[in-house]
Amino acid sequence: MSTIQYRLNGQPRSYTGDPNQPLLWHLRDDLGLIGSKFGCGIGACGACTVHLNGEAARSCLLPMAALAGAEVRTIEGLASGDQLHPVQQAWIDHDVAQCGYCQAGQIMAAAALLEKHPDPSEQQVNAAMSGICRCGTYIRIRKAIASVAGDGARGEA
Amino acid sequence: MNSGGRRAFLRQSLNLAGLLVAVGGTPRLLRAAEAESALVAGQIGSVLRFDAEGLATLLVPTPDMGQGMITTAAQILADELDLDLNQVTVQLMDFVGEFGEDDRATSGNFEQGAGGSLSVMTTWVALRRAGAYARARIVDAAAAHWQTPRSQLHTEGGQVHNRRTGQSLPYAAFVAAASAEHGTLHPYHVEPKPLSELKRVGRPQGNVHARKIATGQALYSTDLKVPGMLHAVIRRCPHLKGELVGFDASKAEAMPGVVQVVEIKRAPEDLSAPRLRAAGVAVVARSHWQALQAARALEITWDGSLAVADDSDQLRERCLQSLSDGDFEELHRQGEVEAALESSAHSIDSIYFHPHWAHACMEPNNAIVEVASDRATVWAGHQSIPGAINAVSSVTDLKPQQVDARVQRMGCGFGRKYGPDFVSEAALLASAVGAPVKLQWTREDDFEHDYYNPMGAYRVRAGIDREGNLRAWHLRVASDARYSVAPQELPIGLVDASLGETLQIPTQISRGAWRGPQHNTAGWVIQSALDELAERAGIDRLEFLIRLYSGKAVLRSPNWPNADIRPERHVALLRKVAAESGWGKPLGTGRGRGIAVHQTFHSCAAHVVEVQMRGERDFEVLRVTSAIDCGLAVNPLGVKAQVEGGVIDGICAAKYGEMRFANGVPVSSNFDRYRKLRLAEAPREIDVHILDSGDMEPRGTGETALPPVIPALTNAIYAASGHRVRRLPIMGAHS
Repeated sequence: MSTIQYRLNGQPRSYTGDPNQPLLWHLRDDLGLIGSKFGCGIGACGACTVHLNGEAARSCLLPMAALAGAEVRTIEGLASGDQLHPVQQAWIDHDVAQCGYCQAGQIMAAAALLEKHPDPSEQQVNAAMSGICRCGTYIRIRKAIASVAGDGARGEA
Repeated sequence: MNSGGRRAFLRQSLNLAGLLVAVGGTPRLLRAAEAESALVAGQIGSVLRFDAEGLATLLVPTPDMGQGMITTAAQILADELDLDLNQVTVQLMDFVGEFGEDDRATSGNFEQGAGGSLSVMTTWVALRRAGAYARARIVDAAAAHWQTPRSQLHTEGGQVHNRRTGQSLPYAAFVAAASAEHGTLHPYHVEPKPLSELKRVGRPQGNVHARKIATGQALYSTDLKVPGMLHAVIRRCPHLKGELVGFDASKAEAMPGVVQVVEIKRAPEDLSAPRLRAAGVAVVARSHWQALQAARALEITWDGSLAVADDSDQLRERCLQSLSDGDFEELHRQGEVEAALESSAHSIDSIYFHPHWAHACMEPNNAIVEVASDRATVWAGHQSIPGAINAVSSVTDLKPQQVDARVQRMGCGFGRKYGPDFVSEAALLASAVGAPVKLQWTREDDFEHDYYNPMGAYRVRAGIDREGNLRAWHLRVASDARYSVAPQELPIGLVDASLGETLQIPTQISRGAWRGPQHNTAGWVIQSALDELAERAGIDRLEFLIRLYSGKAVLRSPNWPNADIRPERHVALLRKVAAESGWGKPLGTGRGRGIAVHQTFHSCAAHVVEVQMRGERDFEVLRVTSAIDCGLAVNPLGVKAQVEGGVIDGICAAKYGEMRFANGVPVSSNFDRYRKLRLAEAPREIDVHILDSGDMEPRGTGETALPPVIPALTNAIYAASGHRVRRLPIMGAHS
């Protein structure tokens, strides 16, 4: 079986298992990185969202074979040590989570959005935040993103 | 103490100001002897536990599916215990209930099931008593330690202060004495604090697990790993009334990681009885991915011939047809309805219909079960701790007394996670393979094997007099469940001539509790019909509703849980949302406002929804103004979250909710075919107001906001477009 070399949360990794296994299950079952959640298996709900080369990606649809040379970041790698990412802090400050299950995916989606568009338009937020939250925390997600975006980001940085 | 423990202790001392003792204004570290005693692990009463490093954990009895019970219970406990929530960890309690007849596990002093919006209401007194008791034991231990009367001691921030000597010691210093089994205090002899002395209850409290959630560290049962654990995926019979004919597992068994293929029998075996557990074939493997791949490779023959009539379209026709010719059961009758209808100045005769809804919890069902010869353990996100225990017992030779439940926080519940099915499946598999098994449902499993919110067709005939007063009300409902709420709800009790009838149309479609059971659709039908009547009367909706609800002082609801209904609360809520939303102010073309109010169980909510039409049926919700009367709001931030969530869940169900069956097989199977609301469609603003009617006790929150938001939305659509939504979902493929 061929070896797949990639980077995970800044560390080099090699993988020799089933190349068709989605990244989500490798993270959860093989590596014990359980922050990324299983929600639908078809890339529709966003609970499994990670960063693939800096872009938000649904890890439930991402076969390990596609990761050769890739840079993957998960929710576990978003903070710098004890220093939370501004999006994580905003999620706490706005008391976004109810059940919390989808929020790692939501946070990863928001972090990727703000990386690309530090002051996103409403349309950009709507397009990037395409995950499902069944608790209905959308209003607080919007507020949390707005607090980090634009002036908020510069102010808190 | 070993040196590692000593370092840990010193580290904690530096972290926790609590371990610094002020004497004569000069802080000093605890004397060594006292430090030794601080490091005894132990539990004080039922809700407070200390580890060997002196850190406190609060134990919450009631499962949390996102309704916020972990935070709210911790808030209540911290208030009684004089602890700061940032000093403690909070986790769910194990089962502390009783075993009743047939040995079945049931809740004891603490309600350990979450439903009916009752979590806070049913545990409010028990939690305060338990917290007060634990605090009293600590104070007793401190009084003995210092040989000081209790009256000289005072607690704050997790410390006992000795007024006489000026000394302070952390609670952790008294664990050994306070957790001793033979204390002199009895839990029932300690009174909780009076409400006036509570400092945290009634103040906004953020989620105590917010940081864990934001960093991906919060644990759900799907995240857990037990030594030696295997993974299972089940292929279940898709036919509602179906059976397994046979299967070929040869391909699956040859696949990597596969340990065993296990047949699962339908429960009950009688196909004519409602399905508790589907027939299926399970693959148990080393990893989830391996189990999933192998399950897909199973070749299975099902017999679905008996269930072809369980079809959404056919059932809908039967429900609608029966509204004219069905043999209805009378649940309520008062006065002469037909005569009152005939003498009415204006009347309506309207048909309403809603399809089945699926729960679609974000975390699909899963459970880990380990079964040994004399003991089993279940780790699951479940809405009932005793229910999870009984589910394991029901499929093993073990009594409930031999089952330990480690219930985890849930990725949603909405009523679905009361079901015993996923736990019993995991227990069957763990028994079959002789190893701990994690059973993970796929999203398709979750949609196809749900206990759905029932389908319902309603006919409302009602009349008003020339002044716009309601004179006659007749509601009948035909549903695949026995629907008793809508035919007995207000305005029955507020009108002199009224009739409520129900008819159950049998199907094999599994039905169950879905956020605000029955109320979730009863509120829509009733508040829509009232909007139609106000329209006929040519009276402003707000004025019409206020006049209607001003009729009576107190009513007793005939519906579970037979709560008091004080219509003055409805009026206060209506006035509040009207005032805050700018009710009556003109709106532009294609815009409209709708208003509605409904009591669900003990609490009541009203909303004004403002929409902008975006096409013939599609719409954008610009703003929702909400008011809730939930009694004492223990955590206003949490109450607001539940209202926001209920509003969005309601709009989502009304707009898209439709679980379809064709020829006895579920058609909707994932989020691509069962649409849910996403952020782009969420209201721009939800403005929540918590009304204080002077209650001294909480009345519940989780389900209250949803039932009235659907009619507020459809009434707004009517105001904006002239289109009366009498069939859900609004964006369905029909019409």
